[in-house]
Amino acid sequence: MHIEIAKILHQTLFGALAAMGFGVLFNIGRQNLFWCGVAGGLALAVRTVGLQVGGSLESASFAAALAVGAVVQMFQERIGVSRNTLDVAGCIPMVPGGFAAKAILGLFALTAPVPIEPDKTLIMSVEYFLRVIFTIGAIGTGLAIPSLLLKAKRSVLKEATLPKPALSKPTGQAPDATLE
Amino acid sequence: MAQQQPQPEPESLEDVAMIAMEFGKLLMECGAASAIVDEYVTRVANALGAEEVDLRVGYASLAITVRIHGKGVARMRRVGQIGVNQRLDQAVRQLARRLEAGECTMAEVVGELKRVVKETPRYPGWFVDIAVGLACASFGRLLGVDWLAFGSVFAAATIGQYFRRKLLSRHVNVFITATLVSFLASVLGGIGSRLAGSSTVETAMTAAVLLLVPGVPSLNAQYDILNGRPTLGSARAVWVVVILIFITIGVWLSQMVLGEGR
Repeated sequence: MHIEIAKILHQTLFGALAAMGFGVLFNIGRQNLFWCGVAGGLALAVRTVGLQVGGSLESASFAAALAVGAVVQMFQERIGVSRNTLDVAGCIPMVPGGFAAKAILGLFALTAPVPIEPDKTLIMSVEYFLRVIFTIGAIGTGLAIPSLLLKAKRSVLKEATLPKPALSKPTGQAPDATLE
Repeated sequence: MAQQQPQPEPESLEDVAMIAMEFGKLLMECGAASAIVDEYVTRVANALGAEEVDLRVGYASLAITVRIHGKGVARMRRVGQIGVNQRLDQAVRQLARRLEAGECTMAEVVGELKRVVKETPRYPGWFVDIAVGLACASFGRLLGVDWLAFGSVFAAATIGQYFRRKLLSRHVNVFITATLVSFLASVLGGIGSRLAGSSTVETAMTAAVLLLVPGVPSLNAQYDILNGRPTLGSARAVWVVVILIFITIGVWLSQMVLGEGR
């Protein structure tokens, strides 16, 4: 366990820059680009600390996404940006695109006419694939948890205050009906 | 969320269904998750007088059933190419809220939607290219690219984004575009960082193509599944996997050309 402040600051800065750059690509308004940077910086700061205290990439990414989701949820109305926008822009720098490429390249290498060390390549490829899936899963779940909790709270409030609609939703839609 | 304010006179069912779906279609094309699309379509339809709204959000189409006074219609609409456009997304949501608040009528809303689509600002192309270049160079730093390769990743990704913009504006298939752009950016990133004497050429070649990684669809895919729409979520996930394969083919070709990689 070893905390390196310089490394955390470095990752925070470049996480913020990456999030802002993608913010421009996603046509996020000028006044909101700053908040994208804040979200991206926060994500990378939490992830770097998570990695430095000995967490895996997946658990650190989960903690970072949870932090971004919760902070965005708290400040969203004050900033006036949609939740989705900040969540996504903030977590984009954590999407493991490089790992995905390495995993697929590994599979290509396996099917070469004379594969070099196929057993090692296969294990490496599978490992990268699993890391991609688990990391993206960790980010998506981390982001979704704060808003799902809030929705659950909202729907309880709604049921308590609004009269029942005249026509009920079909039962197949039950999960949506309870979430909204 | 739909506040049942004093309801306006119910309009024609056909128009209610089609206008509500136009909102949904635009939101889908701007990269909104299905829960948002469902929420806003329902709010718009309610604001136009619908008593009951059921929406199916598919990857390439929307289907809606709207009921007023016990009568109903079911309609379907095609969804175009899905991208990411946050300012248009915000403008469409804003218009839906105005409609709900009674600030514009059903007759006006169609014109307003067209105006919003036409007038929502976009950043100039060159600015997007540079911003994307900077984002990829920053990604490179996060992945451990050294400072010697920083500039070449920036240049390669900027040029890559320029070509992506040009190819997509000529309606070249999005998967083919991914391979072509990834090959170009990766080769340029590799040559540039080699000339600069970098020791992280292979990572630089990967960092230069990260502009193509579909982050929004991959997060939306999960969000949709967690929100009870596994069909749409799976469709998005398959799209993400296929685009990743096409990106990797570009990187693989560039590694063969430059003799990098294992």
